Amino acid sequence: MQDANLQRRLILDIPTGFLLLFFVMPLAALVTLSFWQTENYKIVHEWTLMNYGTLATERAYITFFLRSLVMAIGVSVTLVALSWPIAYFIVRYGGRYRIIFSLLLVIPFLSGEVLRLIALQGMLGPAGLVNGALIRMGAAPLRMIMYSNAASFIAFIYLYLPLVVTTIYLSLINFDFRLAHAASACGANRFRIFTEVVWPLNLSGTIVGFMLAFIPTLSASLVPRFLGGPNGTLYGMSMAQQFGESGTWALGAAMGVVLFLFSAIALAILSYGVDLRRTGFTGLGRQ
Amino acid sequence: MFETKLTRRSILVAGAATALAAPFVRPSWAAPDTVRALMWEAYLLPDQITAFEESNKVKFVPSFFDGNSEAYNKLRVGGSKEFDLVQADGFWPQLYFREGLLREVDYSKVPNSSGYLPEFGAEVFKVLSDPQSGKKIGFPFCWGAYGITYDAGKVQPERTETLECMFSSDYSGMLSTSARFEENIALAALLVTERLGSRDKPRPDGKPFNPYVLSDEELAEVEKLLIQQKSLLLTRYQDNPTLFQLLQSGAVVAATEFAQVFRQLLTAEAQGAAPVDFRHALKMKEGGLGWVDTWLVTSGVQDGKKFDLCNSFIDLMISPTVMKKIGEVAGCSTTVDLRSISNETERKLFLMDRSNEIADLFMFDQPSSPEKWERVWSNVQAA
Repeated sequence: MQDANLQRRLILDIPTGFLLLFFVMPLAALVTLSFWQTENYKIVHEWTLMNYGTLATERAYITFFLRSLVMAIGVSVTLVALSWPIAYFIVRYGGRYRIIFSLLLVIPFLSGEVLRLIALQGMLGPAGLVNGALIRMGAAPLRMIMYSNAASFIAFIYLYLPLVVTTIYLSLINFDFRLAHAASACGANRFRIFTEVVWPLNLSGTIVGFMLAFIPTLSASLVPRFLGGPNGTLYGMSMAQQFGESGTWALGAAMGVVLFLFSAIALAILSYGVDLRRTGFTGLGRQ
Repeated sequence: MFETKLTRRSILVAGAATALAAPFVRPSWAAPDTVRALMWEAYLLPDQITAFEESNKVKFVPSFFDGNSEAYNKLRVGGSKEFDLVQADGFWPQLYFREGLLREVDYSKVPNSSGYLPEFGAEVFKVLSDPQSGKKIGFPFCWGAYGITYDAGKVQPERTETLECMFSSDYSGMLSTSARFEENIALAALLVTERLGSRDKPRPDGKPFNPYVLSDEELAEVEKLLIQQKSLLLTRYQDNPTLFQLLQSGAVVAATEFAQVFRQLLTAEAQGAAPVDFRHALKMKEGGLGWVDTWLVTSGVQDGKKFDLCNSFIDLMISPTVMKKIGEVAGCSTTVDLRSISNETERKLFLMDRSNEIADLFMFDQPSSPEKWERVWSNVQAA
């Protein structure tokens, strides 16, 4: 009995301690730093709201945030639209190869993100696969995919597509398609079956997929750095600069706190519509 | 005998105590038989390091950084006791010394220091002397500029005699600069101050003109100029391989860089790549930016065995054979005279006969206000 108690406590306390040390404490340090100042690479330990004032009033940081928000919404919506048919196809027509199809989606994750971005940079760049082929055919290169927000958009889709397809796949695989057959038997057409039966009953998994793309896109720094070009600076990239080259850590910390709060609120709002039992993540199968 | 009860509270207390005590636990790698260096990764030659370790029976422990501000922060946070040797360029060593992070060095204990090119000798190269006390604070290592590499078939050489070339709509969409914000602002400042004629007027710090110390009016003009330049740029490259591809493919015809890519392009041509007339302009009529990488000894190193080891390491690093290899690997010019062991191509490639031009360049420095410069850069990026 005592052993079981000890085991239970260890199972709970080790992750709790880990979270306290490596999540809560750094976050607390970040919040504290955001209320200080940096001056000539030195931290001035005086409490101030100036960093938050700067973020709320300076056009540059507002622009970075809005660019990131528009990018995150665009990327997430596109990913959901692309992932649905892919996941639906695997679940409905994958047969015994369903697992293999879904595992194939994971293959890009076997290499690092930087490597994948460099490969993409080579592909979309002026001498890359796309523009190289166009030039060889005598056509003009596509400038919009070279070092632009469009290039970043393509990269985000490439990076997060497997995540979103997998979440929607997990949702669909737990969905009872007999409900769709029943609706069909009652005279509903395909569009109505989808909008009134399949989509609402898989909304939770879709929202989880949306969030898995939305949150990292909002805070991304590597993609705009490698592919964004002169007009592609996003909020996460600017935040990384504060901690790196410019040494303005206090402003960077305030940017981090704002991002964390915004993401938490977005997560809370979106989670409102999530019923985990319907996502396929509970391991309980069909409910 | 006392009993310890394993409770949630006790585990959390133990965890917190361990976390608090961690900074005070002396790391094993800080043992006296180690030499710890904070350096640029490009200068690490594994075979030379192994030879140094074996001949001195010590362990060499390198840590790496990208930019001076990053090294400065690491040195200040870790304290000079965390490192024995450190690298920096431009005026940064003087700042380190003022802040007590470095110790005085002794050229007589580093025999290979007699092989420096005249411009970098102890008596001539004042950047590595403390202006107040005159003490020597480090050893020159590699040098370079932040000049313009261009395709002479598409950009007339005389156009690169001025910085206007990097802001010309004639090359719209075919220009590139690095993503380093300090050098973008400082280089634009050379053009702005020339246009405004403000260099000879009293400067904000009361000293002679330095593109890293700018008035608010000059910074505002720099911001405007960099915003105009954005539409002319294909991209701000993050790394040398990217710029190499852009220049070699012809997508970019002129770019500001450290001459490293220029050398790689010429080397590639010598190895069979399609011939293109790539050239490098070190200094423009408005001036240019230069840097001299150095080896410095931290104030945590006392006279005795550790100081001797540091001197011995620096002596090895600036020995002609090692310097030649570093030049080849890192693609930089060296401060040691290698002309007697180099052929004509190498002399041209590594600018061995142009080292006197360093005296006319403005050395890399700390921005007068990192906060103001950051704001300018953010405004440029957001525009």
